[in-house]
Amino acid sequence: MCFKNLPVEFDEQGQPFLRGGIPNPYAAATAPANVPLQLSAAQVEELVRRNGHIKSVDFDPVTRVAGALAFHAVADLKERRILEARSVATLFRGYEVIMVGRDPRDAIYITSRACGVCGGVHSTCSALAIEMAIDCVPPPLGVLIRNLALALEFLYDHPLHLHLLAGPDYSAAIVEPTNPSLFARAKKTEARHTAVHGYPTIAALMEDLNPLTGKLYVEALHMTRLAREAYVLICGKYPHPQTIVPGGMSSTITPTVMHEMYLRLSQFFDYGKKISCIWDDITDFFYEANPAYKQVGQRRANMIDTGIFDHPDHYDATYKNAAAWGERRWATPGAVVDGKLVTTDLHTINIGLEEFVEHSYYEEWTGSGQKQRFADDPTGKPLSPYHPWNKITKPRPEGQNWKEKYTWDTAPRWDRLGMEAGSYARLWNTAVAQKLPANPFIESTGHSLKVRLPKGALPEMELEWHVPDVWNAFERNRARAHCVSFTAMVAMNNWLAVMDRMKDGDRRTSTPFEIPKKGEQRGVGFWGAGRGYLTHHLVLDRGAVSNYQIVTPSTWNASPTDRWGQPGPYEEAVMNTPLLEETDDPKEFRGIDVLRAIRSFDPCMPCTTHIHSDAGVVTREVNTCACGVDG
Amino acid sequence: MRVLVAIVGYRNLRDFSAPFAILEQLEAESLGPNVVVEDTSYNPIAVIQWLDSEPPEARFDRIVLVAAIERGHPPGTVTTWRWDGVLPLDDEVQQCVAEAVTGIISLENTLVITGYFKALPPEVIVVEIEPLDHAFGSEMSPQVQAAIARACARVRELADATEAIDWLPPAPLIRSEYQRTEGRW
Repeated sequence: MCFKNLPVEFDEQGQPFLRGGIPNPYAAATAPANVPLQLSAAQVEELVRRNGHIKSVDFDPVTRVAGALAFHAVADLKERRILEARSVATLFRGYEVIMVGRDPRDAIYITSRACGVCGGVHSTCSALAIEMAIDCVPPPLGVLIRNLALALEFLYDHPLHLHLLAGPDYSAAIVEPTNPSLFARAKKTEARHTAVHGYPTIAALMEDLNPLTGKLYVEALHMTRLAREAYVLICGKYPHPQTIVPGGMSSTITPTVMHEMYLRLSQFFDYGKKISCIWDDITDFFYEANPAYKQVGQRRANMIDTGIFDHPDHYDATYKNAAAWGERRWATPGAVVDGKLVTTDLHTINIGLEEFVEHSYYEEWTGSGQKQRFADDPTGKPLSPYHPWNKITKPRPEGQNWKEKYTWDTAPRWDRLGMEAGSYARLWNTAVAQKLPANPFIESTGHSLKVRLPKGALPEMELEWHVPDVWNAFERNRARAHCVSFTAMVAMNNWLAVMDRMKDGDRRTSTPFEIPKKGEQRGVGFWGAGRGYLTHHLVLDRGAVSNYQIVTPSTWNASPTDRWGQPGPYEEAVMNTPLLEETDDPKEFRGIDVLRAIRSFDPCMPCTTHIHSDAGVVTREVNTCACGVDG
Repeated sequence: MRVLVAIVGYRNLRDFSAPFAILEQLEAESLGPNVVVEDTSYNPIAVIQWLDSEPPEARFDRIVLVAAIERGHPPGTVTTWRWDGVLPLDDEVQQCVAEAVTGIISLENTLVITGYFKALPPEVIVVEIEPLDHAFGSEMSPQVQAAIARACARVRELADATEAIDWLPPAPLIRSEYQRTEGRW
């Protein structure tokens, strides 16, 4: 039985049912067991009052253009640890409110604007939700081209994060001033994968991770261009595509388009080898230099992903068969709890989802007199009143108060647990589940993922990503680096499949459809962003949207503490992070370990935070996904 | 002299969409064979890559960037300044890049990033319109609507006159707290 906290059990056929004899089964009293808890605001106030070395350290948005994430922490500077952490989404964007009453096709273009990096994933997710609601099945070529488009978007996203946003945290420009002894060691430490990436020492590698001037930084800018060029061949433009429609893609696919795409895609084969080896070397170096780095950004290995990249022989756009077609995806859906994969079933993933707003600037929607709209999913499986299909977005801005409400993000939970989302969840599920379609490039072993990359300037190579025994900032980045190779070879598999279909004369990329003007329909897009899990839950009423709910990776990751005191993933990761920075001077304190912890989640919401302490201001930016602020 | 007239604007954001009205107006007329009118309201890294793809013999000598920015002037005020090219500290440039690659579009980011990576022409002139209305929608306020013709006229002049660069003394990057109406206008 995969649910430990929800009042849902499974019969002998594996069908879930609501436990009987409980008057209000989803009541708040059903708290998760064995989870970390935040200190209460009163406890923190008392600690600060009684101990001079315990200080508030606020990461406030001081943004030149737009701001969306702030972070409040209370640090014990004597013990060099964080006692309290509060993640704050500072903006309300309200796509859920904007969508109500509209033609569902508008969602493809409107929700794309939820993110300036990954608009395509929102467009696609809304297209999937619509085609499920209206029974429209895309043709095989439409499915394959859609897979290619999103794989290319991820090949933009991963290098961007690794070497433009997170990479600088591990560069000489940052490591030398924050941890001089570590940098001295790096100068003397030979890199293990010199033959692949060319760097003789870790210090040399760190030099090229330097922002703006490092070769790896500049190379990442170039690689993002290649991915973007390939993407616009089939999507028209980036980041907001023009060719994604319910029932497939409106792109015109020709051999020329495919070859132009291949010219760019193939350059990620060698890049994938290099980037994986670089992040393997960085991770190993930090662990060996100081094992305490394993605690930076550490939290329970609780993660969730809906899977992505459908197989055209299985995907039929129905909710009824979602559990079956989901498991045939190139990236397997799954929920991992304490490091164990507990389900790969999209229905189970869906019915375990709830959103809470105790600490969010929204009104509760399940109050007295409010009838639960859907008691179950379209296959009769029980749904919580807190499930997105039942949710009503009611913004209620008010003053910030750590005891009460402090963020525009909601608190999504699965089986009432704080789960994190990321490309690494995609890798983890796929590695463990062993459900990959047969193919020549990627192999799921049950404990690792092997990716065979063709010869380029570098020889043919098999990379292997192992499920780690500890989950922290370094493993997030390492896994994301391996995702470059994984994604490139998923794209290659789909590219070959497209070419095979074109040889047979297939050119049809979409299925005509009409929006029904009568009745009520439900749909959900189960998809993924570059940074993981993405769902769009949709309800249509007489042809118009009556409810639209988006849950993004950053909704999960930046979520606040929940009604039971369980922190959100950023909060938990920061609370577990030791302050290893080598300074006793608060004026020199940069908060690099905390920033590494937050940034390892691949947040992308453009915001700049300044770290304020009593001793001064430390300026570093934290970027997090704009989609995360949607409530 | 090859001149690039480029805009940095936002669609469907009323007065902040004014650069698009200017773009459409200028595209509809001929500014001569050596003037290219372009929308650069996208990731400045991609703007660099586009500028770098121009062959060496066809590189631009001047860029006239048009944007709508709140500076505290009366709505509809058109101001013009010439950037001295002095960049902020590297930390701030990196912040600009981080914002740019994650979707933030702004005149300042475009200037800083294209400037840092040496993609800008030698002469950089900025034409700004002071907006009033900052809501979703396609209609501009009457003040900004009335300023479109003036802004277009100024851009035409700057695109045509080689000596225009002498009318404007070099000035540092304008931040929101700056206010100026200097030079010839």
